[in-house]
Amino acid sequence: MAAIPGRRFPRPWRSGEGLLVLPALLFYLAVYLYPLSRIAAWSLFERGFTLKFYRELLDEPMYFRALGNTLEISFLSTALCLLLGYPLAYLMATTSARARSALMVLVLIPFWTSILVRTFAWMVILGNNGMVNRTLMALGLTGAPVKLLFNMLGVQIGMVHVLLPFMVFPLFAVMSGIDPNILRVARSLGAAPRRAFRHVFLPLSLPGIAAGCVLVFLLAVGFYVTPALLGGPGQITLATMIEMQINTFLNWGFAASLGIVLLLVVGGIFAAFSTLLGIGRLTGEA
Amino acid sequence: MNRRTVLKSSAALLAAPFLHIRPVRADKGELVVVSWGGDYDTAIRDLAVPAFQKNTGYTVKMDAPPENAKVKAMVQSGNVGWDVILTDIPAVLTLTKDTLLEPLDYGAIDKAKLDKIPKELQQPYAIGQRIYSFNIVYNTNALPKPKHPRDWAEVWDQKHFPGGRTFNFQGGIEPQLEVALLADGVPVDKLYPLDIERAWKMFDKLRPLVSKWYTSHAQAIQLIGADEASVGCTIGPRGITAKHAGAPIDVDYNQGKLASDNWCLVKGVRDKKIAMEFINQALDPKVQAGIAQRVPYGPSNGGAFEFLSASEAADLNTSPDNIKEQFWQNVQWWSTPGADGKTPREAQAERFAKWMVAG
Amino acid sequence: MRAVLWAFCGLLLVFLIAPILVVMVTSLNDSQYMEFPPRTWSLRWYANFFGSAQWTGPALLSVRVALVVSVCATVLGTLAAVGIVRGRFRGRQALEMFLISPMIVPIVVMALGLFFLFSAVHLLDSPVALTLGHTVVATPLVIVLVRAGLRASDPALELAARSLGANAWRTLIYVTLPAIRPSLAAAAVFAFLVSFDEVVVAIFVGGPASTTLPKRMWETIRFEIDPTLTAVSSLLTLVAVFVLVVAAVVRRPGKRGAGLTV
Repeated sequence: MAAIPGRRFPRPWRSGEGLLVLPALLFYLAVYLYPLSRIAAWSLFERGFTLKFYRELLDEPMYFRALGNTLEISFLSTALCLLLGYPLAYLMATTSARARSALMVLVLIPFWTSILVRTFAWMVILGNNGMVNRTLMALGLTGAPVKLLFNMLGVQIGMVHVLLPFMVFPLFAVMSGIDPNILRVARSLGAAPRRAFRHVFLPLSLPGIAAGCVLVFLLAVGFYVTPALLGGPGQITLATMIEMQINTFLNWGFAASLGIVLLLVVGGIFAAFSTLLGIGRLTGEA
Repeated sequence: MNRRTVLKSSAALLAAPFLHIRPVRADKGELVVVSWGGDYDTAIRDLAVPAFQKNTGYTVKMDAPPENAKVKAMVQSGNVGWDVILTDIPAVLTLTKDTLLEPLDYGAIDKAKLDKIPKELQQPYAIGQRIYSFNIVYNTNALPKPKHPRDWAEVWDQKHFPGGRTFNFQGGIEPQLEVALLADGVPVDKLYPLDIERAWKMFDKLRPLVSKWYTSHAQAIQLIGADEASVGCTIGPRGITAKHAGAPIDVDYNQGKLASDNWCLVKGVRDKKIAMEFINQALDPKVQAGIAQRVPYGPSNGGAFEFLSASEAADLNTSPDNIKEQFWQNVQWWSTPGADGKTPREAQAERFAKWMVAG
Repeated sequence: MRAVLWAFCGLLLVFLIAPILVVMVTSLNDSQYMEFPPRTWSLRWYANFFGSAQWTGPALLSVRVALVVSVCATVLGTLAAVGIVRGRFRGRQALEMFLISPMIVPIVVMALGLFFLFSAVHLLDSPVALTLGHTVVATPLVIVLVRAGLRASDPALELAARSLGANAWRTLIYVTLPAIRPSLAAAAVFAFLVSFDEVVVAIFVGGPASTTLPKRMWETIRFEIDPTLTAVSSLLTLVAVFVLVVAAVVRRPGKRGAGLTV
């Protein structure tokens, strides 16, 4: 290094690199912050400053229930996606290039089908007279059709189906960067495969887990068509309520206050998680 | 092709859609009509537009769907890109309350047409174009005719008419209180003013029977067709369309609730005279008959039946035979504010959402 | 162990693909009423799609908008992620939260805000408005993905490059970014998909002159489902599979991290 004369030893992370945030920041200021603050203002002003929308909201347990439903659905989807997606991503990262390409293509398949016809397809497969129930009844496993749709199960089936790629791809991207030799070394040092996986591979894949969970959770919070089409009364979400206030009742101030509450709650959960679990530290931040 | 030309041509391809930045308002000589897409729009385009175009020299551009929020945003921002919208009564009530509509000019509509349109459908801000109705729609395999439910009391009776039920619960819809009261034996001429508490007791009874509260009328038809629900309360004309397409679905018009999709002018409409002329053309009996032949909603103009055969009329909810069995939704009752300033429509829709979420 | 893994993933893939197979078969229906399996077969819904500018126009527009969004969001998001992960400045965590927050804002709220923005600058009903709007929606995804890639990649390589005399730009382009190629690829694909699938912003800021495919598909939803949707869905799936397969074959993936031999 001393062989390069006249150069200061470059620090790997220089404050100057922080400037790379600027283009996105400027873009956000114009196309995101400006419109958003305008809407946030609706929640606080109606001929002068008012907290009436927030008071109205706090007085009505329905909105807390809907918020609770939203969070329940989102947490469950995230957990299911992680549980199902991790093995798949692991397989993708450790298999041959050809198999990997095939898996990638297959994982992305659900995306191209409109949710409207996807719901139809789920009814064909999972409905009372659907393939699954008819098979179960033909095999004598059940006398009456099992209710697979229009409840939490239906919502989760519909959501995991489209959200899975958002878990699998970050996981795969991170896993494929893990040097396979590390596992080999661990094993040669006497670690059992399971131990090597738990203590070496799993920690290294944590950034992928964190990214996948963040993506899936936040996307799930915003879903309102799938819960509406495939869920029951127990799956009415806050997003549905907001949509209803904006489109049907034109009650924008109130809708804005609902949106702000959702933003704060989810943002709070997010902050709490990253502090509590120290995701920053775990994921290799210095 | 080398890399550079590939890059260049793909750049050109990507840039192409951005070269023509459209003005917010349609070009002069253009009327923007907003409806619900699909076959009905095509029928309007094919049957109502040509005469309008001939009379005015204007072209018609169609957009969809006429979301209330977009109307409000347009009026508020002063960029009104829509002229005429076709929308249902709940939307008309909301839009009128927020003064987002322009009053209609009834002088611009031919007297002969107005005479054939029921008075209920001629409101200051809205005139009925097509009649929809909430009817008994059932699966013909599960409940074969004539052993199907023939009135709402029988829809509530799962013992004799087995299978799940489906009713609508979509963003901000009011509950079918009239239907619930009819199911409880209230005679049709004694419906209004509605006995709200009595109706809700019937809804409590309905809840366990419902296999899915549908969120769009399209979904209702899917549910009934697949026998996820053997019978439901949904738009009858959609059931008729499905029946014609070979679905195991039929409609019983008895005790149906009639309501209208209406033409309205968005506040700030560019040329009211031109817009009224479009509405005038769409209300033409022959045009409406032609539309009804393609999409079986009842024409608002009774004169249309002169151009329809008996078999075509038999399926329409406003045919003389069918309309007798049904009743008009009382818009007046639903839109008159109560003591707290809320209209029954707002109050009941809110109560419906609470009732649903609490379940 | 490996066999169990394959079996598990095989079942998972069946779950992912089964509904699409149903849709594909249904798309061959001759009836207006969607039915599975179809009683009579035909290609009329495909003919309907290709024969109507009402469908092909929006499809082309959607592809174009999504491509541009994919490029814009990937560039903006990647730079931002590098800045956040590698930069050192106060308030990074808060800034990161801010940059990801569009994902939490309910899409209707966002769409309404965008309507007023584009109304003020006279861009409503234009592909530009759609592109800008979708870029806001897609950029947070890119940031999350690229940040994960960066956190997992070894900064020692960048240190080495810099110490060997490469400037910040060269290091970014020749070392940092190649090391996170899988994350970048995933980010670009998702940005494309988010735009391609987006309907609410499209309904609010789009219009008769800029109707995207999802908007067209949703127009009729309240009353009917046009069976053309089954044909569109099947076509999109086939085209996507074809493109991805071709991409995989052409790229001939060699050794992982080939650009990394610094």
